[in-house]
Amino acid sequence: MMSNKNQLNVKTSEDMTATELNIEADVVIIGSGAGGGISAYELAKAGKKVIILEAGPYVPSEKFTEMMAVSMATMYEGEGAQSNTDGDITVLQGRCVGGSTVVNAALCFRTPDYYLKKWGKEFGLTNLTPEVMLPYFEKVEKNLGITEVKPHETSSGAETIKKGLKALDIPLGLARRNIRDCAMTGFCFAGCKTDRKQSMMVTYLPWACNHGAEIYADTRVTKISAENGTAKGVNAEVIDPKTGVTKTRLSVKAPIVVLAAGPTGSPLLLQQSGLANSSGQVGKNFACHPSLSVTAIYEKKLNDFHGATHSLFDDRHTLPENGGWIQLNAVQDPVEASFMAEPGTGKPYVRYMQNYPNSTRLITLIHDKNVGEVTMENGYKEIRYQVDDEDFEAMKKGLKENARILFASGAKYLYLPTYDTQRINSVDEIDSVIDALENESARYRYTSFHPQGTCRMGTDKSKTVVNPYGETHDIKNLYVVDASLLPTSIGYNPSETVYALASYIADQINEANPG
Amino acid sequence: MSDINKQRRQFLKLATAISVAVASLSPMQVIAGKITEDNKMDATEHAVFTKMLTTSLPTEGSPLIPPASLPVIPTIEGALLAGMPPHIRQGLNQGIHYFNQGPLKKYGKSFNELPDEQATAFVDEWTSSEKAPHRALAMGLKKLTVLAYWAIPDTWTPLGYVGPVSEKWKLKYRGVTPEPKA
Repeated sequence: MMSNKNQLNVKTSEDMTATELNIEADVVIIGSGAGGGISAYELAKAGKKVIILEAGPYVPSEKFTEMMAVSMATMYEGEGAQSNTDGDITVLQGRCVGGSTVVNAALCFRTPDYYLKKWGKEFGLTNLTPEVMLPYFEKVEKNLGITEVKPHETSSGAETIKKGLKALDIPLGLARRNIRDCAMTGFCFAGCKTDRKQSMMVTYLPWACNHGAEIYADTRVTKISAENGTAKGVNAEVIDPKTGVTKTRLSVKAPIVVLAAGPTGSPLLLQQSGLANSSGQVGKNFACHPSLSVTAIYEKKLNDFHGATHSLFDDRHTLPENGGWIQLNAVQDPVEASFMAEPGTGKPYVRYMQNYPNSTRLITLIHDKNVGEVTMENGYKEIRYQVDDEDFEAMKKGLKENARILFASGAKYLYLPTYDTQRINSVDEIDSVIDALENESARYRYTSFHPQGTCRMGTDKSKTVVNPYGETHDIKNLYVVDASLLPTSIGYNPSETVYALASYIADQINEANPG
Repeated sequence: MSDINKQRRQFLKLATAISVAVASLSPMQVIAGKITEDNKMDATEHAVFTKMLTTSLPTEGSPLIPPASLPVIPTIEGALLAGMPPHIRQGLNQGIHYFNQGPLKKYGKSFNELPDEQATAFVDEWTSSEKAPHRALAMGLKKLTVLAYWAIPDTWTPLGYVGPVSEKWKLKYRGVTPEPKA
């Protein structure tokens, strides 16, 4: 129970004693991440009784371990093992109270006007103009403390890479993050133990609870209900995470249902419920910003262990017409570094890991086509997605630029994140090594932090799932507020886009449902 | 579907199972997991991982901690068995057996029986194979093994990595951010 103002009003499976629980509310929200958290606050503040159901556990920040492997097992979807069907792209998402906002890098970009205009032209989203969206970006930036990194908020690896950017006369992009008073631990992906990262868990969710919202963790929604084309509520199960046993069957009757289960969870719930899919597009159009991390080895130790997780970027080529890739630095612990490169089996690998203190890395992330699909098969989630051939060519161009920056920063040699050994020993080898790469499955060590697009937004009911105001075309008062909405990949971290869209859609819900 | 296609599909599924399984490793699962008769390692799996560990991490002459002194195999077992869905676990088991038989034609021995030099060569051959399932199996098993090693905090000391820092640095908790005033 909430004992102090501004705390989370969260119940977990341990708190549940009844085998059945029936709740009536004005709004039920499925998911407590960016979309769910912001919707919860804006709707509760408007006087609505809000219930939030979160499938993942509640992990208080003081229990964060600052160990990536442990955090993955406790706070990530599929215990960090969610991947595409081929198993060569790890698709990372949060699954805990606060969702991905608890385990993301806190990197924020406004949606480029390019995409807002493109969505207006191609998807009829003429309501989401840069002018309309500007106050929403400003609002979430203020609420979440989104600001540019300060001069001291960096890392030894970033400072080294900065020299390469300068040598090549590349403009330095300074990261903007939702962090207040960063302690420079470098553990954004494992959860910010001292609450500097402004995740939903320390912002919108407790603010929602100030206005009476209630959160149920360990609670998996099994079905969304609708009658006569209008949402009616949900059925859910509260599951003991230690045993997997269902403790309570929960039913929430509510005239407004807000779906914020993420781009792999939201389409599956709609599919399971048999709702909102007259277009046949639910689960389709999946994109994920595949990324590859190039490891550079230097003569001297960098000890790039702690500091801002991301502090710099180069986005000159991020829009598709400019190439379609972005470069980002990142700090990494030994567990992550242990599988990011393939130096060869045995002794070469031991030497590679001995050189971990002498290494840093630069990530190339691509704007990708929405060619994937999320479905449930034989009771298990399937993410069918392979990198498109054209997108792979963009990746190669990005990797070449990446390699040039790292050599210009003083790197002795580089490892590409491939299954077999792909080492680049000098600037002269960059083109020949990277030109020889082919787009094949089980060849590259891709990571994705940005699933999106599976319930896309637009005016055409035959090609999109959700209307321009966030409501599904088919079911009245059933809204989607997560990255599923994005009609196209955007090439930048989509968190601020989701924050702003969720804030906009909450206003639409309040306007359509006053009182 | 032709037999060749069926075999290829099955082969791909096995390789995928390995790849998907790889990321599920973590110390937390070891703590939380339950090893049962249905999901514990069989003798071949144990032998393959033991061989992969010595093949992947020959630490003699380096400052790295010898893997034999650490609970790497129990970490793999606990992590795999605790968190893995049954269909993935089954695919993994079949994939490991397939991998173990891989060197028979060329080297006349299964992977777990190979001398270290040949075992190293075999893993490198498969990681650079033109066949995607071979790549996936070799990379997946190697990745799984080294992840289990590096997930044990004792291994970080020779690298100078200190691990968690908030308590060491005596950082103060900021707590919940005050709600914005209207």
